[in-house]
Amino acid sequence: MGPPSRETWAQRLGAFRASPSAFMAGPEGEDLGRDLLSELRSEKLSEQTKVSLLALSLEYPAQLWPDAAAAEAAATSLLDTLVLLPPRPSALRRPLLLAATTALAAGDALGPTSGASRRLLPLLLGLASGRDLGRGFGPASEQRPLQATACECLRELESCKPGLLGGYLGLLRSLLGQEGPVQPLSLLLALALRNTLVIQARARAGLQGLLVAGDTPAAGGPWNWTLAEDGDAHLQPQAPSWPAAEEEACGLAVLEPSPEEARELRAAVAQLLDTSYLLTPVAQAQLLWLLGWALRGLRGQPPVLFKPQLVRLLGTAQLTLLHAVLALKAAFGEALFTAQDEALLLRRLTLAAQHPALPLPAHLFYLHCLLNFPENWPLGPTGEETAPLLLGPRLCRGLLPSLLHDPSALLAHLHLLCLFCAEDEEKEEKGQDWCPQHYLGELLAGLRQRAALHGGPRALATLCFQASYLVVHCLATQPTVLTPLTHGLAQLYRARPALAPHFVDLLDRVGPELGEPLRAALRQEVVSRPGRDEALRWHLQILSKVADGKAPSATLGFLRAAAAHCSDWGLQQALLQVCRALLRAGVAEGLADLLQALARQLEDPDGRDHARLYYILLAHLAGPKLGVALGPSLAAPALTSSLVAENQGFAAVLMVQEAPAPMQLSVGPRRAAGPVPVLQLQVEVLEPLYSVELRFRVEGQLYGPLGAVHVPCLLPGRPCRPLHLPLRPRRPAPAQLAVRALFATPAGLTCHAHLPPLLVNFADLFLPFPQAPDGDNQGFFEELWDSCLPEGAESRLWCPLGPQGLEALVARHLEPFVVVAQPPTSYHVAIRLPPASRLLLRLEAAQGDGVPVALRTDDWAVLPMAGDYLRGLSAAV
Amino acid sequence: MAQRAVWLISHEPGTPLCGTVRFSRRYPTVEKRAKVFNGTSYVPIPEDGPFLKALFFELRLLDDDKDFVESRDSCSHINKTSVYGLLVGGGELWPVVAFLKNNMIYACVPLVEQTLSPRPPLISISGISQSFELLFGIQDFLHLGQKNETELNTKLNQLPDLLLQACPFGTLLDANLQNSLDSINFASVTHPQKQPAWKVGTYKGKPQVSVSITEKVKSMQYDKQDIADTWQVVGAVTCKCDLEGIMPNVTISLSLPTNGSPLQDILVHPCVTSLDSAILTSSSIDAMDDSAFSGPYKFPFTPPLESFNLCYYTSQVPVPPILGFYQMKEEEIQVKITVNLKLHESVKNNFEFCEARIPFYNRGPVTHVEYKVSFGQLEVFRERSLLIWIIGQKFPKSMEISLSGTVTFGAKSHEKQPFDEICIGGTAYLKLHFKILDYTLTGCYADQHSVQVFASGKPKISTHRKLISSDYYIWNSKAPAPITYGSLLL
Repeated sequence: MGPPSRETWAQRLGAFRASPSAFMAGPEGEDLGRDLLSELRSEKLSEQTKVSLLALSLEYPAQLWPDAAAAEAAATSLLDTLVLLPPRPSALRRPLLLAATTALAAGDALGPTSGASRRLLPLLLGLASGRDLGRGFGPASEQRPLQATACECLRELESCKPGLLGGYLGLLRSLLGQEGPVQPLSLLLALALRNTLVIQARARAGLQGLLVAGDTPAAGGPWNWTLAEDGDAHLQPQAPSWPAAEEEACGLAVLEPSPEEARELRAAVAQLLDTSYLLTPVAQAQLLWLLGWALRGLRGQPPVLFKPQLVRLLGTAQLTLLHAVLALKAAFGEALFTAQDEALLLRRLTLAAQHPALPLPAHLFYLHCLLNFPENWPLGPTGEETAPLLLGPRLCRGLLPSLLHDPSALLAHLHLLCLFCAEDEEKEEKGQDWCPQHYLGELLAGLRQRAALHGGPRALATLCFQASYLVVHCLATQPTVLTPLTHGLAQLYRARPALAPHFVDLLDRVGPELGEPLRAALRQEVVSRPGRDEALRWHLQILSKVADGKAPSATLGFLRAAAAHCSDWGLQQALLQVCRALLRAGVAEGLADLLQALARQLEDPDGRDHARLYYILLAHLAGPKLGVALGPSLAAPALTSSLVAENQGFAAVLMVQEAPAPMQLSVGPRRAAGPVPVLQLQVEVLEPLYSVELRFRVEGQLYGPLGAVHVPCLLPGRPCRPLHLPLRPRRPAPAQLAVRALFATPAGLTCHAHLPPLLVNFADLFLPFPQAPDGDNQGFFEELWDSCLPEGAESRLWCPLGPQGLEALVARHLEPFVVVAQPPTSYHVAIRLPPASRLLLRLEAAQGDGVPVALRTDDWAVLPMAGDYLRGLSAAV
Repeated sequence: MAQRAVWLISHEPGTPLCGTVRFSRRYPTVEKRAKVFNGTSYVPIPEDGPFLKALFFELRLLDDDKDFVESRDSCSHINKTSVYGLLVGGGELWPVVAFLKNNMIYACVPLVEQTLSPRPPLISISGISQSFELLFGIQDFLHLGQKNETELNTKLNQLPDLLLQACPFGTLLDANLQNSLDSINFASVTHPQKQPAWKVGTYKGKPQVSVSITEKVKSMQYDKQDIADTWQVVGAVTCKCDLEGIMPNVTISLSLPTNGSPLQDILVHPCVTSLDSAILTSSSIDAMDDSAFSGPYKFPFTPPLESFNLCYYTSQVPVPPILGFYQMKEEEIQVKITVNLKLHESVKNNFEFCEARIPFYNRGPVTHVEYKVSFGQLEVFRERSLLIWIIGQKFPKSMEISLSGTVTFGAKSHEKQPFDEICIGGTAYLKLHFKILDYTLTGCYADQHSVQVFASGKPKISTHRKLISSDYYIWNSKAPAPITYGSLLL
């Protein structure tokens, strides 16, 4: 492929500009940067085309040369191209300088280690100083424009790397005093001065003679990077540039220059200000911002230097100049503006905000400045828009809103009017000629009239609601404003129900001051209509927002009438939304009938299903749970449709959720009484639980099925009576119980948790025999003893005793079962083991460390367990 | 203070995108700084396509504002300035300065040298006013003397070079783009020392100074008991000084005759070097009294090369030049109208033209008109539902003229007939258009003696005056009319 011609370049650039990202992702993207650099040296392309190539590189360096190395290489190539230009006039020198600067600054390549930086910086400084750089830099006629361009390039580099020119302040000053072009040098010096002061203040260093003349670095000599490479110098998010912020918060440590430094500084600033009239208005404004910023943090630098400029500036209509004056006002306050000056500035600003010769965007900006005016002694809270104290209603008569205003102008002026209304109420002075509330009411009525126009643009409706919102926001406490507003909005709805989405939006955003009465008014407005109406969908949308527990019969009446006309899916859903709102509001009477009717009557199966679901919910769930079921779903992400959200909400509420166990269950002391063994359970909870149901299941077939245990409410920290779990053993054997808990959380969810298994010990099954009927315990025991054999089993074993001896052991473990006792040496024990076994013990002739036990049982399977039990007794003490 | 990007987008309703990006320019070194300054709140400048879409959505210039869209139509989405936040690529690009003028949207994004969350107030952002000046400057350049699409295209093609001159790195150096154009052409001239940046080169030739005073009068007349009529004069003084030397000093004095109306709310061009405090403080905000400063109004200045507006002023003249009433009554498909206009005796009865336009909004086309005029002729534009009463060059001797008639309308078809959000029901107006040469309502004038030039050679001095109407409304007194606070007689 040959070198692209002018036409192909034009096409290529066009394609690139249409969508840079798409172009760079395409096949030609990769080579564009390289091609562009080589084409700049092509002799076939015209200068015009080359300028357009450079223009592209000025806008999209990051796309052409995406990393620092590529940017460095590009800058080097651009500088080479510049040096190689023939010594005749050329339109390329200026854009080449701009492009090399852009490539370095935007590509993060600027720095002491960059070869291109080491070439570009001395070149720019040489050009800016007006030094003869040899014939490679064009004819003398180009020197002046190039000098200005070099200043611009240096200024951009200084902006991106503050402190870069800190070592050359003296040089710049002397250039400004000589023949240099005033504007570029002034702006460059002001920026470098400001950055130096900021850096030195951060480093708590002085000016160190930086303002006194320094030398230009010799061609190829080293650049002074001291300040730019300083740790604090790097570009960092600055403190709010609006000088009203606290100085300390700005990170500007207060710099205290020596008297000599202060004098030099004053001289430099005065030098800049004295020639400022030679600058264009926008450049003058920049100079004032920079110098205002620079001097703000300095002690002993009175801002009177600015004073001679102010009168001249106040007379103009130039937006940047007035804005710069406001910046000085904010920076220096009373030190520069007396109370009279402040009043004059305010009047000029008020005048500019309404001057017919100025365009609307300027009016609006000035209005903003009025409401954020940096007063010498502000009264109100900072950060809120307020009318300045000196700006009385009289001054602002021309600033009040009118229906003829554009939307943003109307809102801006309306805000001012609202502020006056608020103030007016505070003062309680209602002069004859000043009744802002009345005017406000008329204006809002006019806006509503326009919004009510059928077929009118949505912007008019939006404006009406924005104005209403603004008024409520500012004047929420004034019934004289809110009552007519509520009434008017209800009328607007009557006139144009299609604005329902705006009403819903307004209700969502205003507080109860307007929200409550407006809800009532809209509900009344809707339910008083017949159900058959073209605007039915809007009525239903409104009702689903405003329906609550109040006057449900009227609402239900409307819905019943409307149901017959809900022919399509959308309307049916809207109708059901209202039902849902009523369900949530706890309306029960009449609603069940309606839902039942809907479940039969609606054409769409989805609608019928929903109606049936709501009916079931209404019939089965108690109020609070219903509220939770229908409330906004926590589980649903915000983006899903309402239907999905609704279903997820139901799912969350109506399904049992698996949850970690919020309680601990343990077996308490044995009770050994009654017809069946009963386990006493002790329960502790970590959070409030309601409607707790504990379910038990026995591993294997050892016991019969166990009933569930119910507790209405368990609260943490509040002791609960022991729970009783009757056991129904099929065989007298220990067992393990699996436990599950079902409960409701305070959030209304039903949860289900697995608890750790419970152990039923052998001894938990022990029951005493009833008392011997005739009181002959010994006879009763002997009878039992004899009855065990021959079917049963007999054994003897040694039961070790602890230090307490036999008496204590029996008292502790076997007390309920003792039939005959001869303390401390002999006990006869009879234990009933459900369902139908017995265990008889004779503990006689205890010795020091143990007691021989004779035992009999009618169930031989019990023997090993009994043995284990007895042997374990002493350890269990 | 710098700009991150600037766009010019033509508004083309009815086309798929509703507009085309005619010009855009990005400033990558400023973008680099924005990324550092804005930190986590940084949102990059989008490509042209997404920007256009987002901006048009926010400005309601897309054809689809049929449905309620919360991000645009919510009542809490309140915009009180020409500065917007645009939803692009998942973030909100703010502040976007933008306005629509003559079917062109001017937009740019200034650098904010701090975090954007929370949003700092606009007054604290130095780049905001620069954005406005840049856009106003481009607007002035495009529309100065531009007549048609071809000329607009020529000027748009010049923009890249001009901005390379006036705003090479995103920091605006001169909002006067014509000046930048001249500086490209003047590039070969060697500049002497202390050349002002707003004046490229010097004038060579016969010295001459031209001063023209143009007054526009606007009015709202209601013919009602409880509503006051309002009127106001807005003056602009335009100068062109062709004088040799780098910094010639000129002083122009504007004078009033003895019964003239004082000039107020005076705004001057930045080249004016000093101002009398009486000029600075004379303002319409204050109640008028006899002690009001009544001139002469002296403006010392060093002129730029091009024609410029030396100052603007307003004035409250005692009576409106033409006082009238308009009565319109609806009777089913027709309306009855009566108009009466009276020229004040003090006003020069010699118009370049004078006509009254009577539009009928939110109605069908005009099908039939029966009328009687005491003077002039009536033209009927049926499809546009508009009557134009051509009064001509002079009012008759009585100074009073009248029109009465009946206008019948056909069925309304939404697309064709003009819609108006103000003129609902009986609310209607007529608008006067007139121009009087060599005359000002305030009496303000400049003559040979008003211009002092401190430069070599005696310049030829020419002065001009004219009065034109602007927003001169007479509202139907038989129906409600929109009022401003100033009209309320409480």
